[in-house]
Amino acid sequence: MRFVAPLLLSAALFAGKYNTTVEIGMPAPGFRDLAGIDGKTYSLSDFKEDVVVLVFLANHCPWVKGGDKDLIRLVNDFHGKSIRVVGLGVNLRPDDLLPAMKEHAARVGYNFLYLHDPSQEAGRRYGATRTPEFFVLSKDRKIIYTGLLHNSPAQLRRDGSAQYTNGEPVHHYVRDAVRAVLAGKPAPVPETRAQGCTVEYSGR
Amino acid sequence: MHRRVLRPLRGALAAAGVLGLCLAACGPRPELRPIRFEQWKQELASLRGRVVVVDVWATWCVPCLERFPHVVDLDRRYRNRGVTVVSLSVDNRDDPQAVEEARRFLRRQNAAFPNYLMDENILEAFEKLDLLTIPAVWIYDRSGRLRHDLNGDDPNRQFTDDDVERAVAALAAE
Repeated sequence: MRFVAPLLLSAALFAGKYNTTVEIGMPAPGFRDLAGIDGKTYSLSDFKEDVVVLVFLANHCPWVKGGDKDLIRLVNDFHGKSIRVVGLGVNLRPDDLLPAMKEHAARVGYNFLYLHDPSQEAGRRYGATRTPEFFVLSKDRKIIYTGLLHNSPAQLRRDGSAQYTNGEPVHHYVRDAVRAVLAGKPAPVPETRAQGCTVEYSGR
Repeated sequence: MHRRVLRPLRGALAAAGVLGLCLAACGPRPELRPIRFEQWKQELASLRGRVVVVDVWATWCVPCLERFPHVVDLDRRYRNRGVTVVSLSVDNRDDPQAVEEARRFLRRQNAAFPNYLMDENILEAFEKLDLLTIPAVWIYDRSGRLRHDLNGDDPNRQFTDDDVERAVAALAAE
């Protein structure tokens, strides 16, 4: 019980507008030795870039598939800048595990690290409940943004096309937060309501 | 003489029997009615006096589809005990394929209760309903008060079909 109390306390103390677990400005929870699709393992502390963008993903999810192109574009647009984008999978269904992650990443051309956490602890500590759900971390590894990539998430339709829900994206929340960190400023919009498939956590 | 009269009569009786069986067992074909947020609030208010179970779902949500049979079963077991089950789809109303898929799913499930489609931009629907994740199950008591808001918003407090079952049984017995 001694170990449970601080956890409960932190959950009660830190809760964002759209996240029951973390809030803007709090230190980013760490993660250790998660297997990547490249066969290596990674911890949050391995990344030395000025900005880390964590995005919780799930291969099976039409909101992830619909957003893949824009996510790849985000990485390309910041090429040469001190930023690291890391995809994280925490679902335990077979089509969201490492072999399927590798296949999906190769098929759509993911240009960023994609890690899997079979313990689901990373997801629990970030309060990540939807895919995709973005977290932008500052140089001193505080959470400065959580939520959507931009204001018009796309869902993959049954015919294979992706449809923006609000037309062409206008407000690029993650991009603006990254630029803000690089300029040493707070994110202009620190929190939005992520839209996507619910992460399935094993019972607790 | 008898045979001439009885044969058509037997046929008519058989047809009526099939029809009667179907009316009892098949029930009305599930509909999916679009509803604006304001109408939705009125709809909920009109159900006061019943325990109301709202199942919020979408065809893109795999756990929603997996849990739906339990909702159908719940309706069957509790509809005569003062409980009304309602489903509310948050499929994208602007995607005709998704809406049709939702209709087909409800028919396959034989969801013989009111089924609504939130007729709002999908992001606004989540905002107005104050939803983070689905499946979500909202259970209202007979006075219309929300007594259980079951959802997956907290990774450490997920809900199960058993939680729904217990909550409905308790409110139905109140």
